[in-house]
Amino acid sequence: MSNDVREQPELIALPAPVETVSPPSEPVTEAASQSTAPTQPKEQRVRRRVPAAVKGRAIVITSGKGGVGKTTVTANLGAALADAGKRVVVFDADVGLRNLDVVMGLENRVRLHALDVLEGRCELDEALVRDRVRRNLALLPAAQNRDKDEIEPDDMNDLVDELTDTFDLVLIDCPAGIEQGFRNAVAGAGEAIIVTTPEVSAVRDADRVAGLLPHDMPARLIINRVRPGLVRKGTMMSVDDKEVIVATNRGRSVVDMPGSPTGQALRRIAGRLLGEEIPIVDLTEKKDWFSGMLSKLRFSQSKAAKG
Amino acid sequence: LKGNIFVITSGKGGVGKTTTTANLGVALARLGKQVALVDADIGLRNLDLVLGLEKRIVYDVVDLAEGRCQPRQALIKDKRVAGLFLMPAAQTKDKESVSEAQMARVVHALGVDFDAVLIDCPAGIEHGFRNAVAGADEAVIVTMPEVSAIRDADRVLGMLGTRRARIVVNRVRPEMVRSGDMLSVDDVREILGREILGVVPDEEEIIDTTNRGQPVTLDSGRRLAALYMTMARRLLGEDIPALELGDDGLWNRLRRMVVGQR
Repeated sequence: MSNDVREQPELIALPAPVETVSPPSEPVTEAASQSTAPTQPKEQRVRRRVPAAVKGRAIVITSGKGGVGKTTVTANLGAALADAGKRVVVFDADVGLRNLDVVMGLENRVRLHALDVLEGRCELDEALVRDRVRRNLALLPAAQNRDKDEIEPDDMNDLVDELTDTFDLVLIDCPAGIEQGFRNAVAGAGEAIIVTTPEVSAVRDADRVAGLLPHDMPARLIINRVRPGLVRKGTMMSVDDKEVIVATNRGRSVVDMPGSPTGQALRRIAGRLLGEEIPIVDLTEKKDWFSGMLSKLRFSQSKAAKG
Repeated sequence: LKGNIFVITSGKGGVGKTTTTANLGVALARLGKQVALVDADIGLRNLDLVLGLEKRIVYDVVDLAEGRCQPRQALIKDKRVAGLFLMPAAQTKDKESVSEAQMARVVHALGVDFDAVLIDCPAGIEHGFRNAVAGADEAVIVTMPEVSAIRDADRVLGMLGTRRARIVVNRVRPEMVRSGDMLSVDDVREILGREILGVVPDEEEIIDTTNRGQPVTLDSGRRLAALYMTMARRLLGEDIPALELGDDGLWNRLRRMVVGQR
């Protein structure tokens, strides 16, 4: 398995259920048996199967192992999807250890959070923080000084449900691990993206998480931090890595960095999520001397432009 | 109590807790100590993989906590270095299947028989974290010079109460520190306000050795091995000032790069 993983960077379908990336208005087959009148009051756990025309898609970004890039992927995918014209909200489900606000550079604008909404201290609209650049991208922050155990999966379900009324896409940034925080983050989602890296422990954890998702939840995979240098010789990806760290520390999106291979990859992933047929790029293929030099040149140019 | 039970924690995942636990364990064993490594990441265990011992697991820490086996039945002896033992986590259970009191009992029992007990904590600050911390005398906080890792480390420090906690600054990229794109070790020390146990540069060697289940510290010829050996000696109470470390030249180079010079 690990060999496949190394050679197939980016978004690929997991062996199990290949998702039909149909527009939300097109009924999903399993949902046919359920009552789907849009006027129906809030349902409990079956909500994620309701294909009502107004409903957006709720996607949980998870991994099992921490530090594989869930938050960075969430922020950048959100930006790329917003650029594709969608109304997007990114939802930080990492109560107590939130970071999505920092990665998006919005930490100073956070006043209220998801728990305030759940506990009735404010309206959902008041807790949303709009992105600096993209008007159709918003953040729903997590509480920092609270516990994950203070939320129930049903509450999360309701909250995500409410978000899908106004947004085309809800991206839920899941905490590491498989405890209460994980169960909460998955509760409201209709689809999953599993982020992993080409390392034995990350793949093992991703496999465990794939087994813990509801069996009928479509899940797809992002292979992050592929270092072809470790697969073969070459250092392009470590250059690219640096851009991600810099962007993340500064609260900028790597999708906005011209010439960043990571940014381009994330835009392709966003396209695939919206149903476009975009082939997976084999990163190990271009590992010749020339493209290595080219990307180094590009990197020093973008650095020069910054300085 | 001997004060020899250490929890390796971080808040954020993927900063290198498991790799640090494995390498500190190997280093302590190479210093002649009897060391037990406890994998507290029930359900998402990985310490066995990093040590290359995954095929030898019979009983695990949940079996021990629930009295289904004796400590010596669950402990796996590492044949590559004398004195190193692994207490594996269960993979199919939940973190909720063990209580804080049970976990504390397990590590206290190990603390009597071993010179040092290192607990590999799961990411996050949920039940698994509370379990891992329950029996520990001291903490080692692994972090990276990155905004989110530091923020999470700070949060965890606040949850450790009065325990002594020392910092391992992992994955430092000297060239990025120099160019101003990464926080320096001094910045980290200042923000977290705790003692630095050690600094580890970001090298592909670590990923490679971790993937192969062969901790880098097993090979005394490696540059990184010397760093872990020094950290282990500090853990044992030796006072080794950062500057006089020059046994391998790496520290000095790193320090020059990190502190900044012409």
